[in-house]
Amino acid sequence: MMDVKRIISKIERDYIISNLKKEERIDERGLWEYRKFQIKSDVIASAEGSADVSLGETRIITGLKYEVGTPFPDLPDKGVCTVMAELLPIASPLFERGPPDEQSIELARVVDRGIRHADCVQTQKLCIKEKVSVYILFVDMYVINYQGNLIDTGAVSALTTLLSAHIPEGIWNEEKGEAEWTGKYFTGKNIVNELPLAITYGKIDDIVFLDPSLPEELVSEGKISISVTEDKITSIQKSGAATFSIDEIKMLGKKSLEIGKKLRKDLNLLQYQSKIK
Amino acid sequence: MPLIIKDEYPETLFREDGKRLDGRDLNELRPIKMEVGIVPNADGSAYLEWGNNKIYAAVYGPREVHPHHLSKPDKGILRVFYRMATFSVFDRKRPAPGRREKEISMIVADCIEPLLFLELYPGTSFEVFIEVMDADGGTRCASTTVAALALADAGVPMKSLVSSVAVGKIDGKKVVDLSGIEDKAGDADLPIAITWYNEEISLLQFDGDMNLDEMNEFLDLAKDALKEIHQIQLNTLKSKYIKLQEETLKQKDNKKGEK
Repeated sequence: MMDVKRIISKIERDYIISNLKKEERIDERGLWEYRKFQIKSDVIASAEGSADVSLGETRIITGLKYEVGTPFPDLPDKGVCTVMAELLPIASPLFERGPPDEQSIELARVVDRGIRHADCVQTQKLCIKEKVSVYILFVDMYVINYQGNLIDTGAVSALTTLLSAHIPEGIWNEEKGEAEWTGKYFTGKNIVNELPLAITYGKIDDIVFLDPSLPEELVSEGKISISVTEDKITSIQKSGAATFSIDEIKMLGKKSLEIGKKLRKDLNLLQYQSKIK
Repeated sequence: MPLIIKDEYPETLFREDGKRLDGRDLNELRPIKMEVGIVPNADGSAYLEWGNNKIYAAVYGPREVHPHHLSKPDKGILRVFYRMATFSVFDRKRPAPGRREKEISMIVADCIEPLLFLELYPGTSFEVFIEVMDADGGTRCASTTVAALALADAGVPMKSLVSSVAVGKIDGKKVVDLSGIEDKAGDADLPIAITWYNEEISLLQFDGDMNLDEMNEFLDLAKDALKEIHQIQLNTLKSKYIKLQEETLKQKDNKKGEK
């Protein structure tokens, strides 16, 4: 069993901090190094797209379901994509069952904003008939094991799920007054445009480092998540009690684009696009 | 809300060659794969793939009871929480637990409780969390099977394992291990579980209609399938330690080599 206590001992805390001051991590990573990503796509037969993503020992399974409903009045020709997250009580003794708490809502919202503002999902393609019928996509994330940095894992998991999507393509039948299946599918290729990734940093004293693991998260005063596309920053979330200097934020913005570019290349997420036509 | 593709049942549940739609014989189980220790954070955990069912179970305990008023001064308590992921079924399930999930949680807890020595753990609780990620018929049986495995993996003292399977009637024929479509379109469904220390039935539900002879046949049919499942459970538990043993031996060899 891993050490997953809520309280971290002073000696462990000092050890983590003194290592970070020497630019070393307790798991022997560099300050700007990710743990290893492992990605499997289309793992759930009942879902219209899914992904099983691990970052180190943090693991999230995400699935996509769709419904056909009416659009929002102010966006009559656009489909809807919503993100939900659940921190399952199997994943850690720190998680309790019950309605979503702050941490799971933050995870869902940060991943959602990263996707929404990156022009990732082509919502205008998810319209069947203007003002009447659009697709509503549900991207639901379930945390299976928690060892820190849920946001970056969740972002990759949600994106891989959308890429692996295979949603029955509907056409409006005027006579029946309902949507009908054309026999074809919308796939990730049709609906995903940009590939936004979330990059999260922890902060202890004045040391900033990439991809905090659980002990580092517990010791950290706070963290900052920056979602980036190929050349733009699409969302930022600072959480926890840490404060960041303006120079630090500038440096992290630049760094995020670099790290995002490299990660996007390494993960090569387009390979997980659904092959169904 | 409506979906583009409708959830329709086929007219017949057998192929022309007399086999079931997924190619199985009447008394054949779907492919079963089990693994233990799949959730590193948990005290014990197990994963089960049973046909298209994909289920994770994790055990935490013995630990402090929360809320505290549930704790019993003379024995520990067992709590089981069965949940389904929103995307595990054809129509998206609402995220909050429903009546069905609460009922299944209860019957699985009742099924497992006789196996444990709860009187040895006064004032504490064992919590078993079952998360169905993909569902295709028979999830309560699969959940019971995998929950027993997770408890064993946690090192919780148990009288024995429990194994569970559903038998039923589809198109008038008696079959073992109903798939999702057979469950919905079939005529009868009888989930059943056996605790092996006394070989008695610990879970039993029935929906449909049957006469006495049929009931007897169902019970006999189930017993053979249950033995097969029990063997897979035992092999899974053993294989974890065989793997550990092999790894330690290898490490020892390596050390010798260095010297």
